Order: sequence, then C-alpha cells, then structure tokens
Amino acid sequence: MDRQGQRITAVNAAADKLGFYPGMPLADARAIYPSLIVKPADHQGDHATLVRLALWCQRYSPHTRIDAPDGLAIDSTGCAHLFGGEAMMLKIIARRLQAFGLTVRLAAAPTIGAAFALARHAPGALTIVTDETLHNHLAPLPVAALRLEEPVVAALKKLGLKNIRDLLGKPRAPLVARFGSALVERLDQAFGREAESFSPLSPPPSYRAEQRFVEPLTTIAAIECAVDRLANDLADMLIKAGKGARQVTLSLFRVDGWSQRLDVQTSALALSRDAAHLARLLSERLDAIKDQTGFGFEAATLDAFRVEKYFSNQSVLKVAGEAQESPDDLARLLDRLANRFGADNVMRFAPVPSYIPERSVQITSALQSSPQDDSRHDWKAHARMLQGGDFIGRPVLMFASPEPVTTLAEVPDGPPIRFKWRRVSHRITKADGPERIAPEWWRMNAEESRQTRDYYRVEDEAGRRFWLYRDGLHEREGDTPRWFIHGVFA
Amino acid sequence: MKPKPDFQQLRQRIAAQERRALESWPPVSLGASALDHKLPGGGLAAGALHEFLPATPGDIAALAGFSLGVLAQILRMHAGFVLLALPSFHALREGAFYPVGLTALGCDPDRLVQLRAPKGESVLWAMEEGLANPALAAVVGVLPGNDRAYDFTASRRLAMRAAASGVTALLIRSQRAPGDATAAQTRWSIAAAPSEARVWAGGRMPGLGAPQWQVELTKSKSGALGEWRVRWDDETFSFRLAAALADRAPVRGSVRGSDRASVAVSNMPRRWVAAS
Repeated sequence: MDRQGQRITAVNAAADKLGFYPGMPLADARAIYPSLIVKPADHQGDHATLVRLALWCQRYSPHTRIDAPDGLAIDSTGCAHLFGGEAMMLKIIARRLQAFGLTVRLAAAPTIGAAFALARHAPGALTIVTDETLHNHLAPLPVAALRLEEPVVAALKKLGLKNIRDLLGKPRAPLVARFGSALVERLDQAFGREAESFSPLSPPPSYRAEQRFVEPLTTIAAIECAVDRLANDLADMLIKAGKGARQVTLSLFRVDGWSQRLDVQTSALALSRDAAHLARLLSERLDAIKDQTGFGFEAATLDAFRVEKYFSNQSVLKVAGEAQESPDDLARLLDRLANRFGADNVMRFAPVPSYIPERSVQITSALQSSPQDDSRHDWKAHARMLQGGDFIGRPVLMFASPEPVTTLAEVPDGPPIRFKWRRVSHRITKADGPERIAPEWWRMNAEESRQTRDYYRVEDEAGRRFWLYRDGLHEREGDTPRWFIHGVFA
Repeated sequence: MKPKPDFQQLRQRIAAQERRALESWPPVSLGASALDHKLPGGGLAAGALHEFLPATPGDIAALAGFSLGVLAQILRMHAGFVLLALPSFHALREGAFYPVGLTALGCDPDRLVQLRAPKGESVLWAMEEGLANPALAAVVGVLPGNDRAYDFTASRRLAMRAAASGVTALLIRSQRAPGDATAAQTRWSIAAAPSEARVWAGGRMPGLGAPQWQVELTKSKSGALGEWRVRWDDETFSFRLAAALADRAPVRGSVRGSDRASVAVSNMPRRWVAAS
C-alpha cells in the first residue's frame, strides 16, 4: 500500500494471463475481474523464505546470496562438473525448485550482471551463455535488465533507448553526464569489462566435506552415521593441510528445501582434527533437530571455519607446575559443555582492577583461549587490594543486583541494628565497617547509582553473615541513603 | 594342610560385588582432627560423592561457605581444575559465586570452570561428564533441593563415576530432604554459627570473627556420625574445631585491636553563630 492506494505486488500465472501486472492498482484489477483472489503481501516472509532457499542452494556451491526481492545468485565457479556440467546443473536446480512449487527462471553466465539480466528477461526459462555468445544474448534485452534504478530506466525509455543494444554504440561521456556513472558501470559489469564483487550470504568455509544420500535420512541414528563419516573426511583434510579449525558447521539439507545448520566450536585447534571428538560434539547437538527430520535429509555438508595453522605442541588451560595433567582432556570436556549449554555458560574468571564489587571480576567464556587465559592471575593480591588486611572482606555469594532491605539503625551513620530482607527480620549482633566505596566517576552512566556506598559486614543472632551497604552518605546534601544487601558470607 | 586363604582375592570378590573400585585414593584431611577421626582413613574420601545440605533454608550461605572450604582442602591435595556446575536460576535467587570471596576460602579462582546450566538435570549430566575426566581435581554441583532429577540412581551413578576416576564430587543441595536414600559416601548438614566476636575499643558493636559452622555428619558409609562446631582458620586455610564456648562473652581489649588508630568522638550539642 502506498499513497496511491493498494497496488498489486505479485501475480500468479493465471492472473498474468488475464493481463494483470505488478504495480497495477488493486481497484483497477478488481474492476476488471471482480472475483480476483487477493492476499496481503508478506515482504518479511518472502525475504525469510528467500534466505532459506539461498542457504538450501549452498548444496550447489558454498557461495550463494539473495537478490531481493525475488532472486538468488550462486557463484558456481568450479562447481558445475560435480553435477554433470552446467546444463545438467541448471536442470537439476530447476527441477528441484519447481518441486517446491516455485516458478523458476535460471541463467548461467560469465558475469553476475549478465546472469541477473538473463534470468529475468531472457525469452527462455533456462539460458546458458558463454563469453562468445554473451553479446548476442544481452543486446536484445530491455534496459531494465541492467539493475538500474527506476528513474534512470524511465528516462532511458523516454529517449527511445529501450534495449541494451541501443546503449552499446553510444559515446560514454554524454551517458555519464546525463544518467550518472551507475549506468555505464552496470553496462560494463554485465559485459565483464568491470569487476564486480560477490558477497555471499554466509562466509565460505575453508574446508568442506560433503555427502549426498541415495535415500533421504529420517532417523537420528542414520544421520549420526553420516556425521561420523563427514567428521572423518574433514579431520583428514585438516590433518593433510596441517591446519586446525575453531568452528565447524554441519548443514543438513532436507528434501523439501529446508536446511538446518548446527555450529560447534572447539577450544583447541587440535580437537578439530580429532574425528571422534567432532562426531561426538555434533551428535550431541542432533537431539535438537529430532522433530524436524520431516521427509528426511538428502545431503549434508561439514564445513570448517576460522581455520588456522596447527602447531602440534599447542597446549590449553595451563596451570604452572602441573605436568601430569592432560590439557587435552579438559579441553574436550569444555568443548562438550560449551556445545551443549552455550559457550557463554562455560565461564572462567579474571580479576579486574576496580574497587566496585561487581566490576572487580571479569567473566570470560572458557573457550576463548587467548594467551592471557593461560597465564595465572594473582587472586590473593587482588583480594588484598580490594579488602585490605581483612581475611574475609568479600562475600562468597553475591547477588547480580543488590536487593533493597528495610533497616533500623541506632545512629544514622552507623550499621543498622535490625534489618528485614525477604520478609525475614534479622537482629544484628556483630558488625564491621563501614568500608567506603566511591563510584568511578569516569565510568558513570545514567542507569547506575552515582552515590557513594558504605559497606558493612554484619552477623545476626543465628550466625548468618551478610554484606549490607548504604547507598549514599547520610550527611551529604542531595544523597538519599537507602540500604541494600549485596551478598552473603560463608 | 589347609590352604591359606587368599585375602587379596577375597577382597577383590567383595569389591566386585559392591561395584567399588579397587584403587583407593588418599583421603583429604579437613584440618580438624576430631572430624578426620570420624571419617574412614582419616579424612574425607577422595573419588567419592559427598552431599552437603543446609540445616534450615536460611543456611544456604553457610552451606556454600563450608562446602567451598572443603573444596579448598581437595584443591590443596590434588592438581587440576574444578568444574562448578549450578543452575542459572539458582544463582539469581541465592547469589552467584564471587571469585574474590572464594579466594578468602582458599579456592583459587584460576582453577575454577563454572558452568551455568539451565536446570538441575543438566547439572547432573555435567557432573557425570566431569567425573569421567581425570584431569579434574573435583566436581562441585549445586542442586535445588526439590529437584526431582536427583534420586538414588543418580547418586549411584555419580558415586561410581567418582570411584572410577578418583575425582571427588561435592553436591550442594539447597533444600533439606530428610530420609531419602543416597549412594553418597557422606552427607553433611550445615548450619551457620555465630563467630567469635572481635571487640574494638569504643566500637558500638563487636566485629565479626572467623566464620563458624555447626556441622553435622548425618550419613556416612563407615557408620560413625557426629556433630561439631567448626571454625575457619584463615592462616592455614583449613577447618579447626571451635572452642567449646565459642559464643562466650567477648573479652575487652582483644589482641587484634591493639595497634589500631584511635580517635575520640563526642556527641557535643551543635551550636551555630550567624553573622551579618
């Protein structure tokens, strides 16, 4: 719907026959043919479907992308022979896409621009063009085939320049002056006089193992077998090349044009070369697609990403002076935990020089094995810096966000004698403090409290120990002191 | 002549029937000899499952503190990492382990790998995986007490895996569920206990001493049970038995206060002078 009212965005074959076309006002169409079936356009859904199809097309080449709103592009360089030649490959693709209920027009050409033009404007539904025949095929096409903006196409038409042929003999300078450099650039790209970059939907893998199945696989057990073989192939490839990968992606292609990707990450390069480990990691993830096998998977690929040169003496998660430990075993465990629960949920800690309790520790994913992770941190020095000479100045359990408590204090600037937290009242018998922690002015933002905190360690009658703080100083103007509990002690 | 009984063979047969690993791992001393004496071999059995429960729902912090103190003893004796698995919702409600606080209890955060699991069942899965890995020193799991995934079978699985690899498993359950069967080597019930007061001259309130716990050994495969008042010793990073009268009236002028700076404070009535 735009300002001129509702317009048709797409028509089916029957409507096309009756003379309806995209861009036609809906009111006109209804006047001509009152029983027209109208459905609202779902651009988002169309886009999602297109992306899904592009991913599915990765079975033909790892480089695929979408040409919105209604096209796909595949970089088939060096791929056609796997399907029995270019003609055969196009036929296979066409047949498969038609089986999904789509109307398909395909073209294979030496340039992206030419393939785009021919797929949309060539007389036949399936066109193959070589370098020699490129000129003859492109010349009769309308200028709209050149991927130009709407006003440029309209202006060209007005001047009688209807076909690409009409543009070919013309001097370039006036064309640029009149229509901008885009026209000449598109023309050059279509004829291969200017290079054009192709950015695929997902980055191409460095190594790929693939398998096609005679019969679609519908059971997890069968897929596991296939994964085993793929893992073996990929690990072999990596070992031969002297490489290791940090990420491995399994793609499963379902018969009905749906594809599923499973990513697994490895903490150590060595592990990507271990077929059994890879297969195990992947098999553990297969549970997630148990209900999505549908009509079965007909092909699978296993891709290696983030490939690096592998040095055999690489070690992970070292602790100084411990020789008997096998770091490989630990890395294996971390991989499996990370792949089951997410890399962010497998955590390691690092000290951060900040007095603010919530900022003094950094949590990192255990899979990030950067050199700093291998070094040992001096936690004792860190604790001394934070809490001074006290032996237990920091709680054993800390709340992500401090919880407010109601307090009763003898004097406004001292520790409370009673406080209520989670509907339980505690009478304080012992207290240490205050420990004053001022906010870091260089990091203050709107959401956080800008008040200085006075922390108290308190113990109730039963011996439960809490870490309370007063947010804001009592005597300072503008401060509104409130009490919070930030943690509990052992 | 009567054949000599082959004790070794007999032991093996018994062990096989009990499905217990023949290798025995040296036990971990807790520091307090009264506790160690009650435990077979003079300490907490390594390569076994130990359960820790709070005496009351309010004792979760004390429970966490005591179990981490036990973990520190294991870390001292065994090399390797610790897998610390806890459900994410549990961390939100009861608080997350704070590495700086763990340092004070003798656990080096560098040797910890923490897993945030979606539910109790996944904690048990991760624990089993960790126990199969001899590169670890210990596996610590935190379970909400009402978790249905943990039953006798689950405890048996953990105990057997621990026995096979020599990795010690500590299971911290946040709710008391009395009477349920377990294959754990020991089960402990932990309650908070008042610390020894530290008195500062002129202080309004006495200060906190070293953490103390009321510790009860409620189940033990070796049979001996007991209840103790245990204190944390921050110099050796281990447990000590608390003095019999731990909560006695504080003594004025304790040693710790002797070298502290002192100031005089008075509550003088405030007065103002205005000038114009």
